[in-house]
Amino acid sequence: MGGRTDELEDRSLRPLTGEFWAAVDRAELVRPVCNDCGQSFFVPQFACPYCQSTNWDYQPSSGRGRVYSHTTVHRPPTPAFTAPYVMADVDVEEGWHLLTWIVDCEPDQVAIDMPVSVKFVTGPDGHRLPAFAPDGAAR
Amino acid sequence: MSGVHPLHRVAIVGVAATEMARQLDTTSAEVSLRAALAALDDAGLGVADVNGVAARWAGPGGTVFQPGSADWAGVFGQPLRWVCDTYPQGVPGALDAAAAVAAGLCETALVFGGQAGVMGGSAVADYTRPDNEFIACWGSLTAAQFALVAQVYRHRHAPDPEQLAAIAAAIRNAGSANPAAVMAGRGPYTATDVLASPMVAEPFRLLDLCLATEGAAAMVITTTERARDLAQAPVAILGGGSEWHRQQYVNPPRYDEVWGLGADAARRAFDLADLRPHDVDVFELYDINTYEVVRQFEMLGLCAEGEGAEYLWEAGIGTDGCHPLNTDGGLLSYSHIGWGGPTLKIVEAVRQLRGTAGPGQVPNAEIALVTGAGSGAQYHNVMVLGRG
Repeated sequence: MGGRTDELEDRSLRPLTGEFWAAVDRAELVRPVCNDCGQSFFVPQFACPYCQSTNWDYQPSSGRGRVYSHTTVHRPPTPAFTAPYVMADVDVEEGWHLLTWIVDCEPDQVAIDMPVSVKFVTGPDGHRLPAFAPDGAAR
Repeated sequence: MSGVHPLHRVAIVGVAATEMARQLDTTSAEVSLRAALAALDDAGLGVADVNGVAARWAGPGGTVFQPGSADWAGVFGQPLRWVCDTYPQGVPGALDAAAAVAAGLCETALVFGGQAGVMGGSAVADYTRPDNEFIACWGSLTAAQFALVAQVYRHRHAPDPEQLAAIAAAIRNAGSANPAAVMAGRGPYTATDVLASPMVAEPFRLLDLCLATEGAAAMVITTTERARDLAQAPVAILGGGSEWHRQQYVNPPRYDEVWGLGADAARRAFDLADLRPHDVDVFELYDINTYEVVRQFEMLGLCAEGEGAEYLWEAGIGTDGCHPLNTDGGLLSYSHIGWGGPTLKIVEAVRQLRGTAGPGQVPNAEIALVTGAGSGAQYHNVMVLGRG
């Protein structure tokens, strides 16, 4: 990004996705919602994948969902990540899904269809990330 | 000309693969050029015969303009009639080139690519950890993307781990017997060895997963008319097709959307070939991991969803089995050279149909199936090849 490498990038300045990351920095989860067809979608993109409208806004998400699938990674792609960690595809209840982590439980306790809720964590680069934790896990 | 499909007016007349290794002391451009010249030599052609190129410019040097394929006009010292920045190589490259030759946009097309001097130092290849905004922050790698698909399959169908591991062992043993394979002479492997290898991304263990190595591959495509005068018996593109579900590695792949990916492309390819999957003598399938091999047999309709591992266990996948597959050792054991990797499948299929495949030769192979990409990549492609 051209800045000093010891400073965190301001993700809120990113085109298209800045509002998402700004919300994450406030420990809030948002998702794009189409103002024409009402559908939620993810990843943020310039047009709604359901009706191609460019008229959409970020709206708050409940942060509640279920595990669609998960995998425990034992060999990270870079040394920045500490294995093992659980990557998951979580279906959020407004009808969108995202890649995330499942935290606050042992990897072998994670199961498909497990109910989870958003839990903000700090990623290896120092930025906050929207992970998910099993419902009822110790906070 | 009526009645003859355009793809049936072209043939693959030359193929080549360079030496394969974990690291080569050269550049991607240079190793790609070596493959290209070797494929021309295989065909009995020279650089002067080439007027179409599908080969991204791999650098070093060259242009920032696209398609990078035009940079090869400078290397070959002559103008080109057709260039295509095809993605990736393998089946899409072959079909793009075949369409261009069939339409008369060029007469002889060279499709080539590979990588060298790029794999040093890192635990996994750069291309296996794409820097996409909602993927990279979670420490994703392509194996993990495919794992998300495989985990749902495992949850719903509970395939037998030993039957799955036996597939990886068989492919690796084919590679062990192939002197050109990166893993030549290693093994022999048993299902037990596969199940004892370290976990990478559940359910994949190290020996379930493909290599990331260096080398290049190339093929030459021209008209059937021109093919008559050349050095090798031509190989016909009997049918082919692609499916692009989504851009890869932007959003996680969904089992319910991608487990059957390729079925429509395969239906179109076999219809055009006037054949059925049961007619295939040798399968050169994109074996990014063990589950993908199972998936493709289910996708082809050779067995029901959830039954692939047991089906292959009973059918046999060696050269003496019902469905010989990945006879060179595949991406698991022969080589996987990134963007050029899919072309290796075509090189081996062409050699099988010529009867020159070496220790993995299937006796009297007349029909070969080649595939590329897979569920976790969210696109898939297939091509049916036969003796020309």
